[in-house]
Amino acid sequence: MQPDTFVAADTAHYIDQFAQLDKGLPGVDVAWFDDQRKKYLARFSKIGFPTQRDEDWRYTPLRLITSKNFNVVAKPDCNVDLTPFKIPALDSYQIVFVDGHLHQKQSTLDLDKGITVRSLAEVLTNTPDLVEKYFGSVVENDSHGFTALNGALNKDGVVIKIEPGVQIEKPIELIFLSQTEMAISQPRNLIIVGKNSKAQFIDRYISNSTAHTLTNSTTEIIVEQRAEIDYYIIQTQSSSAYQVCGVWVKQAAGSRFSCRTITLGGGLVRNDLRVDLNGPEAHCDMLGVYSLSGKQHVDNHTTMIHQAENCTSNELYKGVLEQRSRAVFHGRIKVAAGAQKTDAQQTNNTLLLSRDAEIDTKPQLEIYADDVKCSHGATIGQLNEDSLFYLRTRGIDEADARTLLTYAFVNEVLNQIDIEPLRDALEKTLSSQLIHET
Amino acid sequence: MLTIKNLHVSVEGKSILNGINLEVGAGEVHAIMGPNGSGKSTLANALAGRDNHEVTSGSVQYRGQNLLEMAPEIRAREGLFLAFQYPVEIPGVTNLYLLKASINAILKHRGEEELDAVTFLKLIKEKAALVEMKQELLYRAVNEGFSGGEKKRNEILQMALLEPYLSVLDETDSGLDIDALKIVAHGINTLRSKDRAMIVVTHYQRLLDYIVPDFVHVLAEGRIIRSGDKSLALELENKGYSWIENAA
Ligand SMILES: Nc1ncnc2c1ncn2[C@@H]1O[C@H](COP(=O)(O)OP(=O)(O)OP(=O)(O)O)[C@@H](O)[C@H]1O
Ligand SMILES: [Mg+2]
Repeated sequence: MQPDTFVAADTAHYIDQFAQLDKGLPGVDVAWFDDQRKKYLARFSKIGFPTQRDEDWRYTPLRLITSKNFNVVAKPDCNVDLTPFKIPALDSYQIVFVDGHLHQKQSTLDLDKGITVRSLAEVLTNTPDLVEKYFGSVVENDSHGFTALNGALNKDGVVIKIEPGVQIEKPIELIFLSQTEMAISQPRNLIIVGKNSKAQFIDRYISNSTAHTLTNSTTEIIVEQRAEIDYYIIQTQSSSAYQVCGVWVKQAAGSRFSCRTITLGGGLVRNDLRVDLNGPEAHCDMLGVYSLSGKQHVDNHTTMIHQAENCTSNELYKGVLEQRSRAVFHGRIKVAAGAQKTDAQQTNNTLLLSRDAEIDTKPQLEIYADDVKCSHGATIGQLNEDSLFYLRTRGIDEADARTLLTYAFVNEVLNQIDIEPLRDALEKTLSSQLIHET
Repeated sequence: MLTIKNLHVSVEGKSILNGINLEVGAGEVHAIMGPNGSGKSTLANALAGRDNHEVTSGSVQYRGQNLLEMAPEIRAREGLFLAFQYPVEIPGVTNLYLLKASINAILKHRGEEELDAVTFLKLIKEKAALVEMKQELLYRAVNEGFSGGEKKRNEILQMALLEPYLSVLDETDSGLDIDALKIVAHGINTLRSKDRAMIVVTHYQRLLDYIVPDFVHVLAEGRIIRSGDKSLALELENKGYSWIENAA
């Protein structure tokens, strides 16, 4: 490894940005919020960005991010045409952020009774009490420098609160667009879903095709008792865009949280997904698909914490790597001492379609209870030659046969997407992406 | 239809077929028998174009063309069909999808119009009825979780749909119960015509009771050591292979 890989990036640029923006950042007048912000800033100044010396970042080409100075966009250009990014036939409540700022005109904030959707900046101005109890209650305080940077420099985000017993018919679609050259967007989101409520969320990260951008998001999700959530993270940024995405979830008793992380784009994508199963009989699905080519890199770090008894979790990540792309899967399962009758499964399967592609996969099980069922497995392979030959003997040409088999491989996850227009759109994007070097 | 001359095939550096000569005319049914490991499947796979089956010498003419120069998919589109001894399971690809992709690839190759969804569905249901295959299997992933017999029946369903000129059936009778054997044989016989030919690899006379062959060949150690008419199969049934192997 090159020695300069280890040089920590200059944090001064971002501390500088903070000094310039300070009074312009939302929540300056809200004592508890401002206090948090300053603590995050202090932490970021102290620890800076992670380096490849950190075990959790060993394979991540962080220099792509840390060698550049990204800038907070003061006022976004909202003359943006979102039509090309629309998912055909998807009927959703749409909330749009451009370079980290809410795009008022493109967003639906007045939803039905029992559903609050507001921008964080606006909540902090008008009713900060609404979020005080929740804000910062899920995210780990000692997380890495990107989380600290988000805490210090976030400009906006979405606050969604769903009252108990509410079922939302349409998905809530959160669109985060990065479009300005060298822009850093740091959405800070908070989602609270009340008891017995049901909702679907689609987080989409998109960018224009050429700008170098960094999106560094932190989302906290509180799932109350018996609430049910489908949560989609759809990453289709261009390869000049980088993304660090932190999602922190706390589940109460009897709740269900199903997360699907689909990474089809982005030059460098780092996902940290942590779920705490805090009440008994909670269930979590963590599914993921990554399909990369060129020199793309994706890092999926997942943490499943079983704190209570009788909880189940099921994790399945499937990836397809072409050309010189690279992926990291690090799946951690922790079963706390009291969490008897835990059932936790984890699987990571990757297809390497080129000799230059690479996957680093690492499960990590920490089990402190004795009556548990835990398993993990990882496979790395190529397309099955017997299957390929079989399809060809049925008249299907080699390139199509390869696409079909590759597609079939990830379909195990994709066919679990219940929102049909979303599944169709992803299928289309994915099929068009599968390049085959034969 | 098919002329194989002095065919030598190696798999992973090991020579398995050592000079096969075989002439199959239109309208004919040829049975190939022979002990385990004698090279029957290797011959079938080499005809279908398996790329690790290296042809070291010899030639194969198929319907006036050099078969050995064609990619497996072109052979299929030109009307050659292999029913596998061990059909593979392909999770994530539905049977119906494969069948449709397959027939349309062949129609397109022939310059004919591809089938729309409705026409295709009607056709496939007809063919499924012919081989008495449960419709439910059409909607499952290709061969995934199929019983041994269901897999074989699925091969015959594909054959019935694609209507090949030359069918190579590699132990399609193995693993079939008596009723299934009759149904499969019926499916195969339906396709028999003066324009089509079949090579049927089998270990048992019982299939040949239903599909009566014009010729029977015995393969041993990569060579055809004896050819005859249907009575040869009966004789083998009684005497075993050692009878010819010792004579050869
Ligand atoms: N990939 C391979 N590498 C080495 N040897 C192989 C390979 N594939 C086949 N063989 C060998 O080639 C020989 C012929 O195999 P083949 O499958 O053609 O026999 P078969 O006549 O079909 O037998 P059976 O009646 O059992 O189906 C066997 O000895 C087998 O072990
Ligand atoms: Mg065989």
